[in-house]
Amino acid sequence: MIKELLMAGFLALEDYIVKHVITCLIPAFLLAGAMVTFIDKTVIIKYLGSEANKIRSFSLASISSFLLAACSCTVIPVASGLYYTGASIGVAFIILWVAPAANILALIYTGAILGTKMVLSRIVSALLMAFIVGWIMVLVFERESKESLLKAEVGGKSIIPKKYLILIILILLSLLSPNYLVRSGPYWHKVLVWTFFTFIMVIYAIINIPKDKIRDWLRETWWFIRLIFPLLLLGVFIVGIIGKILPEEWIKAWLGGKSLSASFFATFIGAVSYFATMTEAPFVDTLMKLGMGKGPALALLLTGPGISLPNWLAIAKVFGVKKALVYIPTIIILGTLVGWFFGNFIF
Amino acid sequence: MEIIVAGPGCPRCIATENNVKKACEELGLEAKITHLYDVKLFPQLGIILTPAVVINGQVVVSGKVPTVEELKEILSKMAK
Repeated sequence: MIKELLMAGFLALEDYIVKHVITCLIPAFLLAGAMVTFIDKTVIIKYLGSEANKIRSFSLASISSFLLAACSCTVIPVASGLYYTGASIGVAFIILWVAPAANILALIYTGAILGTKMVLSRIVSALLMAFIVGWIMVLVFERESKESLLKAEVGGKSIIPKKYLILIILILLSLLSPNYLVRSGPYWHKVLVWTFFTFIMVIYAIINIPKDKIRDWLRETWWFIRLIFPLLLLGVFIVGIIGKILPEEWIKAWLGGKSLSASFFATFIGAVSYFATMTEAPFVDTLMKLGMGKGPALALLLTGPGISLPNWLAIAKVFGVKKALVYIPTIIILGTLVGWFFGNFIF
Repeated sequence: MEIIVAGPGCPRCIATENNVKKACEELGLEAKITHLYDVKLFPQLGIILTPAVVINGQVVVSGKVPTVEELKEILSKMAK
């Protein structure tokens, strides 16, 4: 029995890791590293802190959350920093939600495992939820108009110089082309396409990017690998075992179909448990093979990495219990509705 | 010299603290190093991105893990 379970774990590792290392994981980590190194986050944050118009600041917060990359190290201090220096509470909670629920690493991996439609749904629903959450937080908590401490003294300073932008686009190409140009055929076709685009990217980097910047970039990439990869390995191994243990009838009964209750259970599982970023994709894939509905799957993809018990506590500690008590139920309700809606009308 | 390492307690912040300690040691510098975990206090120090290093009230590193070499350079400049 134990041997069988271990085998299931290793098979999952092979399925989700080995087949994705070269064409998905390595370029994804390189991309995350490049975004951390080359994008001037201070400029983004100053814009966010000083933008008073709600619609514009909410859109900006949602979009920049994709660029802030995947580390909870950054997310909570940035969100609280913005809030305590005078940005709208809506902006703070949008970052708190979007950055983990739809960060670039997790999105890429979701696309590679679950397909384009699922990843697009994930992006759209994460943004939709972000706007509603931001708006609700503003309605409940926004204080009277106040002066922002962060002044936008950004004249002339760009978020990212052109030569780094080109590098990021080239990395994106090396990441997307093997997974989207080569839809069928053996794995080495993908590797071939990957090699071609990576070669171009490396040549470009060597010619155009200063050496010390390349070193910084690779160091950040290595940080992501060191932080996330062990958790990913462990997570995927556990996913394999869980898939073996859980009876199919249970999944079908509790998480199958597109009912509101299935969506709620999926949301609740995701909201309570901690998913290291990226592990939610293989977990959801495994559950779907056992009969989970697509709507509930989307709900779990969002709330799995988006919130967790430890993250509830951190939010309560930093922003206060009252705000956590509004934010978390709002996310659970929205997650349930999104899962139900997409399950019934989109998929 | 007063050095504050600021971060919510994540691996990158711990690495930053270790590098700061190592840099001080290698330079033979006497410094009071504190690790600040309370993110609510960060804005008052002018910190936006973590991990951050604040020396004598001035933010010198923010948003990345500095290497020991980088820190030694900054520290020896500040010590003058």
